[in-house]
Amino acid sequence: MSQLTFETINTTVLDTLSRPGKAYWCIIALLFCGVIMGASCWAYQIFVGVGVAGMNTPVHWGTYLINFVFWVGIAHSGTLISAILFLFRAGWRNPIARAAETMTVFAVCIAGLFPFIHLGRVWLVFYMLPLPNQRTLWPNFQSPLIFDVIAISTYLTVSSLFWYTGLLPDLAIIRDRSQGVRKKIFKVLSLGWSGRTGQWMNYSRAYLLFAGLATPLVISVHSVVSWDFALSVIPGWHTTIFAPYFVAGAIHSGLAMVLTLSIPLRKMLKYEALITMDVLESIAKTIVFTGIIVGFSYATELFIAWYSHNSIEMETFWWRAFGHYAPEYWIMVICNTVIPLLYLSKKIRTHVIPLFIISIFVNIGMWYERFVIIAGSVAHDFLPNAWGHYRPTWVEGGIMVGAFCLFFFLFLLFVKHLPSVSMTEMKEMIHKTE
Amino acid sequence: MNTDAIIVTGLYNTQEETLAAVEKIQEKGFEVTEVHSPIPSNALARALGRKKSRIGWFTLTGGLIGFFSGFALAVFTSTRWNLIVSGKPILSWIPFFVIAFEFTILFAVLGNVLGIVTQVGLPDPNYEKNYDPECSGSLYGIEVASTPEDADSLRDLLHRTGSLKKQRETK
Amino acid sequence: MTFMDTAFTKPSAPFNKSVFFIPALIAGGGFLFFIILAATGHPEKAWLAYLTNFIFFTVLSCGGLLFSTLMHFTKARWSHTFAAVAEAFSAFFPVSFVLFILLFIGQNYVFPWVGQDLHGKEVWLNVPFLFARDSVAFLILYSLGFGYLYHSLKFRLKTAPQNTRLKTFLFKRFEQSSHDPETIKQRMTVFAGWYMFAFAMCLSLIGFDLVMSADPHWYSTLFGAYTFIKAIFAGFGAIILLVSLLHLTPKVPFTLTPAQLADMSTLFFGFSIVWGDFFYSQFVVIWYGNIPEESAYIIERTMTHPWRILAWTVFLGCFILPFIILLSRKIKQSPRCMIVISSCVLTGLWIEHFLLLGPSFLAHDPAVFPIGFGELIITLGFLGLFSISILAYFKELPEALKINSGEGGQWK
Repeated sequence: MSQLTFETINTTVLDTLSRPGKAYWCIIALLFCGVIMGASCWAYQIFVGVGVAGMNTPVHWGTYLINFVFWVGIAHSGTLISAILFLFRAGWRNPIARAAETMTVFAVCIAGLFPFIHLGRVWLVFYMLPLPNQRTLWPNFQSPLIFDVIAISTYLTVSSLFWYTGLLPDLAIIRDRSQGVRKKIFKVLSLGWSGRTGQWMNYSRAYLLFAGLATPLVISVHSVVSWDFALSVIPGWHTTIFAPYFVAGAIHSGLAMVLTLSIPLRKMLKYEALITMDVLESIAKTIVFTGIIVGFSYATELFIAWYSHNSIEMETFWWRAFGHYAPEYWIMVICNTVIPLLYLSKKIRTHVIPLFIISIFVNIGMWYERFVIIAGSVAHDFLPNAWGHYRPTWVEGGIMVGAFCLFFFLFLLFVKHLPSVSMTEMKEMIHKTE
Repeated sequence: MNTDAIIVTGLYNTQEETLAAVEKIQEKGFEVTEVHSPIPSNALARALGRKKSRIGWFTLTGGLIGFFSGFALAVFTSTRWNLIVSGKPILSWIPFFVIAFEFTILFAVLGNVLGIVTQVGLPDPNYEKNYDPECSGSLYGIEVASTPEDADSLRDLLHRTGSLKKQRETK
Repeated sequence: MTFMDTAFTKPSAPFNKSVFFIPALIAGGGFLFFIILAATGHPEKAWLAYLTNFIFFTVLSCGGLLFSTLMHFTKARWSHTFAAVAEAFSAFFPVSFVLFILLFIGQNYVFPWVGQDLHGKEVWLNVPFLFARDSVAFLILYSLGFGYLYHSLKFRLKTAPQNTRLKTFLFKRFEQSSHDPETIKQRMTVFAGWYMFAFAMCLSLIGFDLVMSADPHWYSTLFGAYTFIKAIFAGFGAIILLVSLLHLTPKVPFTLTPAQLADMSTLFFGFSIVWGDFFYSQFVVIWYGNIPEESAYIIERTMTHPWRILAWTVFLGCFILPFIILLSRKIKQSPRCMIVISSCVLTGLWIEHFLLLGPSFLAHDPAVFPIGFGELIITLGFLGLFSISILAYFKELPEALKINSGEGGQWK
């Protein structure tokens, strides 16, 4: 850490903004094709009707909402890293905070797309806005789905503003060290930041308040998402632990995604001096912690279902573990709680490749968790004659792949055009440790 | 400050040097009008005698407005038609709290942004006045005001306190 | 500084025997009153007060030690002063264990489900199994806590002790064992990790077994997590109360800087929000679901007289008041203000425990306010016991009150 100076930080980060090579544009083009493919699937669904997706009685919430919850979850750890760890003054957050925050913004955008896709007649989306219809009937503000609209749009607004506020001093650095068109663009973007003492003082205060506000927000957003399910009376959905459990799960998946992104990022942009092994190790340790909370929640749900001696609860959880979706259930349990425990070994968490592979497993596990909860619970609820299975169709698969492509597409564009490590926060960090 | 006062900017490598220089310059009776720095520093703010930030009040006001307007929106809309949905009371405060909470955060953040715009002074089209582009990346710049007669001794003082180069003298 | 030095030439200077007199008197009085109440026709009231206090002070002491383990585990450097005081709460562990065993005597009153038809739940809810598993849980939790404390004390005991047997014993053992600070720290980390894990597990179990099962037909998955979050909240509140009291006692060489207290208070403020979040998360799901077997429990405790008064007091004391007041940084820095606020929160949490248990123990009577003179006397008795444990700890180990004792001193 001691060999870093202000100047080396500047050059390391600014070097990443140099003109990208052919390989980069090839990957971008490939991802863009993926996005077009996803968009075509959606267009097909709009023309033919939402029946092309596999959702049918009794499972009306399929992969679209699974992906919605998954991407909201991914978004969460960005705010955890940028806001919560900022409040706790954890220094290891600084090198990855910017990348994680950017991930948040893109992930919320993508999450926000899925309810639109799920709607079928997407042009009626304004029904969700707080506007009266011609009979002056307003949206029902008691409905968890309206909570969701408000929570997600608040989250998108706040995380974008937070992200942009954090970028300001870095944008000024680029402005001062570039010429021509780029200088002009960054002159506008940096809003005339000049690092005066008075500016810094107010700015630091505002940033702290931002972090203080983002923290309860991020917890509330995933709680609200969990209440889409928990406020119903469906067995497997209606359970009080859902809000904290979803929040922990969201952070679990999000941290895994941070690892999945930052390991290649570090290699590609030569960030080894900034994103050190210590930082990756700290993320891995936090994943162990969130994995234990998630495991605790699985265990509590099973225990209480048994303790309650409520026949429907007992049947639901028995079926979850040993019924039609048992493979998905065990993928979820093993990937989310057992595999992350490998990070307890110092050997594993100090090597990039096992770190990366395990983080992918956690991502898969968390996707399946949402599948098990969302599709699994309604497939097998109170009435045996209404039981049924759900299987996604190729349209849903195409849209899902398109969404992943869109996410990586946006993220790759970002890393070559904006500073993907916060220079200012890195400097503050080395100044403190000096 | 009279009209023919000039501003001399000294550039420094580290925060410690800058702090020491600020103290020395102030001792000699010059007025340090501004310091530009690449990272925030409480010590510098204190040395320049800056008052505490008032941004918190913007945020608090925003939050309060949000809290009440969230409840107000939910109450207003549900009393337009007294329609009982799924057996919940028309005015269900418990779920309305979620709306009020999200509005609190949203408006507090908007208040905070308003605070940044007004208190930090952004956007600032005239930022380039007295500003050295080196200051965003790694150097500290001290702006000192002086009369043309004292300018020479000031330049000398800046040099002695470790300034790398003296430049950008503006009337 | 000179004052501090003189205070430590005599290790047990700040506490002589007379400080134990008053708490002992109160504890004895409380115990006597408990026996009288139990013998004169209101055993259910006496045991309700006993159980409430047992759980309250137990979770408080567990939560107190958790602070030290948590701060060690996350390598936080700002909190060593508090950690030293937080460790004192472990002195209540043995007392708590004895109090738990004593519950066995009152099993017919402590467990309202004894003698009810439980429709198959007997497999889990039966007295022998309950005592077996909960004793094991307490034993594990307390041994891990003491294991952590033992290693932490290695940093605190520097000079050869003069008078006390326990300290001489400990000191001799420390002399013989390893001196390498890194190894000790690593062992502390292992104990801290396991303690925190056991803390979550054991307190969830205690929450399910001793509190939730008081109404055997009601269940909530969050209840376990809610119990240990509450324990952390209560523990941190108690630490703030204790350090502020120590700071204001001129005889004790323990001082705080305003910034330190403000940091701790901010953490406390955060936990009041976390508590509020857990409370609401549990409440809104049951309220919204409106399933009779779940909502009856909530309706009785929050919407019927006299319990609703208590429910509002809890909400006000544990969330609304601290939330509004602690927004101010000035108040967070003042020990006097923090004494008031943390007492408010602790009282609120005590009432909350009483509220969760009470309706299952007492016949429903809107005219009678459930907390009476008897409950207060018994509570004071428990408070006396708790104070004795803490005072005994500081008398035995006045080093804990010294600034920069412990591993923090190593890092300086």
